[in-house]
Amino acid sequence: MPWILPLIAALFWFDSYRPSTGTSALYGLRTYWSMGQGHTIIDFGPFVAGVAAWMGSRDGRRGLADLVTATARPRWAAQLATWAATAIWAVAAYLVFVSVMFAVYAHQGVGGTPPWWYVAVGATGVIAFSAFGFAIGAFWPSRFAAPVAAFGGFLAMYLSFQIGFHHTSGWALILPTNSSGNFDGSAQADSGTFYPWLPDLPIARIMFLAGIAVAALGVTGLPARAGGRRLRAAAAVLTLAGAALAGTAVGLASTAQESAYGVVIPTLHDAANDAPITYTPVCGRSAGVQVCLNPAYGRWLPDMTAALAPVLTEVAGLPGAPVRATQIAAAYPSGGDGPPQPIMFGGQPPVLRMQLGLLHMPGPCGFCVGPTTAQFADEMRLLFAHAFVGAGDSPGSPAQQAVQAALLQGAGVQFAGPTPQAATGPVYAAARRLATWPAAARHAWLAAHLAALRADRLTLEELP
Amino acid sequence: MTTTGLHRPAPGSVPPPAAGTRRYRAAAGWRLGRLYLVSRRVPMALALLAGLGALLWTALHWHWNIAGGPAARQFIPLTIETGAAAVIAVTTYGPFGEPERAAGRWLPWLRLGAAVALTAVAFGVLAAGAAAGGMPGGTLALLRNFGGLVGLGLLSAVVLGGPFAWTGPMAYLLVAEGALAHRSATPWVWPTRPPHDRGGAICACLVLVAGLVLITVRGPRESDRESGPAS
Repeated sequence: MPWILPLIAALFWFDSYRPSTGTSALYGLRTYWSMGQGHTIIDFGPFVAGVAAWMGSRDGRRGLADLVTATARPRWAAQLATWAATAIWAVAAYLVFVSVMFAVYAHQGVGGTPPWWYVAVGATGVIAFSAFGFAIGAFWPSRFAAPVAAFGGFLAMYLSFQIGFHHTSGWALILPTNSSGNFDGSAQADSGTFYPWLPDLPIARIMFLAGIAVAALGVTGLPARAGGRRLRAAAAVLTLAGAALAGTAVGLASTAQESAYGVVIPTLHDAANDAPITYTPVCGRSAGVQVCLNPAYGRWLPDMTAALAPVLTEVAGLPGAPVRATQIAAAYPSGGDGPPQPIMFGGQPPVLRMQLGLLHMPGPCGFCVGPTTAQFADEMRLLFAHAFVGAGDSPGSPAQQAVQAALLQGAGVQFAGPTPQAATGPVYAAARRLATWPAAARHAWLAAHLAALRADRLTLEELP
Repeated sequence: MTTTGLHRPAPGSVPPPAAGTRRYRAAAGWRLGRLYLVSRRVPMALALLAGLGALLWTALHWHWNIAGGPAARQFIPLTIETGAAAVIAVTTYGPFGEPERAAGRWLPWLRLGAAVALTAVAFGVLAAGAAAGGMPGGTLALLRNFGGLVGLGLLSAVVLGGPFAWTGPMAYLLVAEGALAHRSATPWVWPTRPPHDRGGAICACLVLVAGLVLITVRGPRESDRESGPAS
């Protein structure tokens, strides 16, 4: 086993660590590819299965099966010792590699807390692969046992992907590379930042993988050469127990429900895990308004204050203007009509509530083209104006759209459309009229009509 | 009791061909080739390759492809091609070690012949499996991808030894999968390139030729730890 670890280390770096560095510095995003989509298991599992098959087939390949069967120790005990040596090497290497990856993340200042439960899933997956491969080798002492075990591992992982893409809920969530909404809901960024990583699904997966491992090892103790009658009976019990454990885990996964902050399995759920993570926010000021973020997002505080300053200036002094801007946990309710608006107003006096976990923060964002600081600022200003006029989840009424455009124009964001020439029509005409008004007059008009505008009681014709 | 009578052929048996004749050489060559293939467990390899061909047919027929773009659809076929390449690579392992190398004058040619023949058979089987339709890139991409993977397997056998030659194609599968996901397009990761891409084809051919040359000339790496019966 140790001889293959350099190869696995290189693959781990290439396939798990390297892609993660292209995402925002938040654990929820950094580990989505490696843990959420199970790439750490893919990097380890098939190779561990192959090596374990080679170890399991060793006595048979060398024609020593009869010889070792006649030794004092039961054959099964000797086989388990060989498997344990393989599995210990593999799990130790997995934990070391993941620890090094997290240490590098910590050095890079990645925000949030690591998904330790998913690390445990990966370690159990490595054990399951080693047991599965070992059983293949024990029953088929051939040179082809190792590649067949490794190939089977890869095929299982890729089919797990395929099933995951088509089955976004239910039993299929048990599959370790099923990435469908399983990484603490779809609001991935804020797991481990605002609220803990829910352990429900990882526990079910650990049960499933441990059940497979126990069943596979139990099967190796069933043949007559494995040992005495009592030992073989114990192996049979172990096999059945493993199968029952895996089956129970599948049953538990089929009861999973996606909550706002992760996947909940009622039987396994502990309400204590719902308690949010306490933190001291990092705050700055933007146009006289305090802007506070979770410390995990602290690196983007200057971007936020700079982005909000023009729009906050534009609405300063109005009755609905926010007295404070604060980040809240991102939530993506399942069964809804898509994600909620990332920026909303709430409370009295009004507070700007920002779900930054629903947005791509400036910089790299994995497989997408990440927004630049300027693009992020424009997006924030647009979302602010959209929320300020009370447009909600829709584009807003024509009057609300016109006021949005006028506010954005005042904040330095030009009228937009598919092309510059496309910014025409009655909405843009009204927006231009409002934008060309003196700032004081526009301010006074907004102060008088903001409540009616937000209640959608204004038509385009009633705009100045 | 003596062994004198054992030299006498049984009544009615066909006498062996005289040494040095063409028929004798053909019979000896046939026997040598057959024994070589059996010692490399080629019959089992053929059975596994047939199974992989059937698996490819099933995967394509029942649309096991992973959701996503054209790259995602390659994952399952590429995995099966990798499995076939790994099987071919593992057949290079010889159980006899030094005695065979010292006495086997035809050994390099046997290695080359076995590798080429198995590759051709495997390609035929996989192409038959791809007849189910929907093979990403078609037969041309299959030929390029599989040929390159076989070359990698043979190179792995030279470097790591026959028993562990499967690790090369399997590792390459992970690299190719990552490159497909990241839309990387270096010709050295030929599965990411279009079927008619010249760069990808050249790289795959280079790897295949290098693998065939090295496995012919040098043979798989022998390890003292793993000498023994050719299971």
